[in-house]
Amino acid sequence: MISFEHVAKRYPGGVQALSDVTFRVNGGEMVFITGHSGAGKSTLLKLIALLERPSRGQVLFDGRNVGKLARRQIPYLRRRIGVIFQDHRLLSDKRVFDNVALPLMIAGLPFAEIQRRVRAALDKVGLLDKEKLYPPMLSGGEQQRVGIARAIIGRPPVVLADEPTGNLDPGLSAEIMNYFLRLNETGVTVLIASHDLELIRSLRRRVLVLAHGQIIDDRPARARRDSAAGQGPLEPDQGALW
Amino acid sequence: MVKTRNLSSGREVSGGFAAVRAWSRRHAFSLLSSLGTIARHPLASLMTFGVLAFALALPLALHVALTNVERLGQHWERLDTLSVFLHTDVGEEDVDRISSRLSTWTQILAVDPISPQQGMSELSQQLGLLDAENLLTENPLPWVLEITPAVGFQRDTLLARLEAEAAVSTVIVDLQWLERLDAMTEVLSRLVSLLAVLLALGVAVIIGNTIRLDIQNRSEEIEVMALVGATPAFIRRPFLYMGLWYGLIGGVLAWLLVAAALLALDEPFRALSRTYAESAGLLHPGQDILALVVGGSGLFGLIGSWLVVGQHLRRIDP
Repeated sequence: MISFEHVAKRYPGGVQALSDVTFRVNGGEMVFITGHSGAGKSTLLKLIALLERPSRGQVLFDGRNVGKLARRQIPYLRRRIGVIFQDHRLLSDKRVFDNVALPLMIAGLPFAEIQRRVRAALDKVGLLDKEKLYPPMLSGGEQQRVGIARAIIGRPPVVLADEPTGNLDPGLSAEIMNYFLRLNETGVTVLIASHDLELIRSLRRRVLVLAHGQIIDDRPARARRDSAAGQGPLEPDQGALW
Repeated sequence: MVKTRNLSSGREVSGGFAAVRAWSRRHAFSLLSSLGTIARHPLASLMTFGVLAFALALPLALHVALTNVERLGQHWERLDTLSVFLHTDVGEEDVDRISSRLSTWTQILAVDPISPQQGMSELSQQLGLLDAENLLTENPLPWVLEITPAVGFQRDTLLARLEAEAAVSTVIVDLQWLERLDAMTEVLSRLVSLLAVLLALGVAVIIGNTIRLDIQNRSEEIEVMALVGATPAFIRRPFLYMGLWYGLIGGVLAWLLVAAALLALDEPFRALSRTYAESAGLLHPGQDILALVVGGSGLFGLIGSWLVVGQHLRRIDP
């Protein structure tokens, strides 16, 4: 699904975020990326969604080299990747409903279907009664859940999350992680950058450890609930949201 | 505009009809969101509309004033008469014949012959000479035809035709001030055109600047939209619609301003035209002019926002 081959990323100004990264993530896998701050976790995720382009090496998504993708193709790649940020990146002057609906509006879906799917997504994250509120009226955990609803509303085969629990207390963090687990169980490939080592360890999934722009450890998932891995994504219209 | 997007995801609607439907839904979304932006900032939007309306009302009002002055000028022209001096050897029977012939011309409304005797008495009255006719053994004045031209007559062709008449000695027209008026309206109409061009560019600049500020305020939104897979065209569209709305609404408001001014001026103008034995009201701008103002302002709004949006989106580079 996703593979990095000797990828390096140097930002203008000389900061070397990634120096030589090679790994593969299969469809349906759930992978944590961890490492100290500045190890290159965010950069790694940004390269997949083409928020940045690699300086060297290849990033393959579904067998295609995204670094070589034409500019006008980028939007269509991004529609296949749901991205969740630590700072949510919600539009504060738009209601929760409109925030979640945005990817579907962009895809030009009929409003009735948008409404149905947004409601379903908000129901999954337990925010159905908050659809008319504006994001600043919500708590941090609720905002993060709105971000998750927005990322998955387009039923992307891949979801990337950058420190999704960064600002949350342990209880909320576990709850958020639980959403990702359930999402992964429906066949969605999930990559999560996090430094919450304790939480990661308890989930027993594959972990990539980054340090100084390189992968220093690749710990495989420990046997438990492996059934979802390798199964491939579900058909988009099959069943509920995840 | 409709591109078939062949996507590996297979979720994007494909097929002509569905693609058109999705395309029109995206347009509807952009259209509504642009209107929503205007409605969410009523004060700022009102001020922009106001600036646009005043800028557009100026050339429109001048144009209306000009067409009304031109029409009044036609009335004034008709009130003036041409004095056609015949040769001194033309007798009374010939005068009758000529005047009845001239009065059949479409360019002439009325012919009023003045005999040498009448002319002499008028002249002596004007000069304050009593019995001037008695002082002169022979009346040196010729017959004169006072001609009232029809509305909309062509001065030059009428003059040429009259002068071509064998019996006519000279034609005297005291219409120089009318020529000046014509020349003045010519200058003014050129001025109106210049103003229209300048203010059309002004509309593009005003709207472009408004959109530029709006883009800056919404740069976060633009980034998020790009993040969730919006195409540059989709991001650009609400801003283009907004430029169009600003232009169209500004144009309509300008028309309303001018219409209100015309309403206020109508009664005094009628009083004025009654002194010319006319009861015509003010001419309102024609539909073609209104369409030009509203449509042109919409177009320039679109152009203004197009230039700004293109440049800014490249700078934000989502």
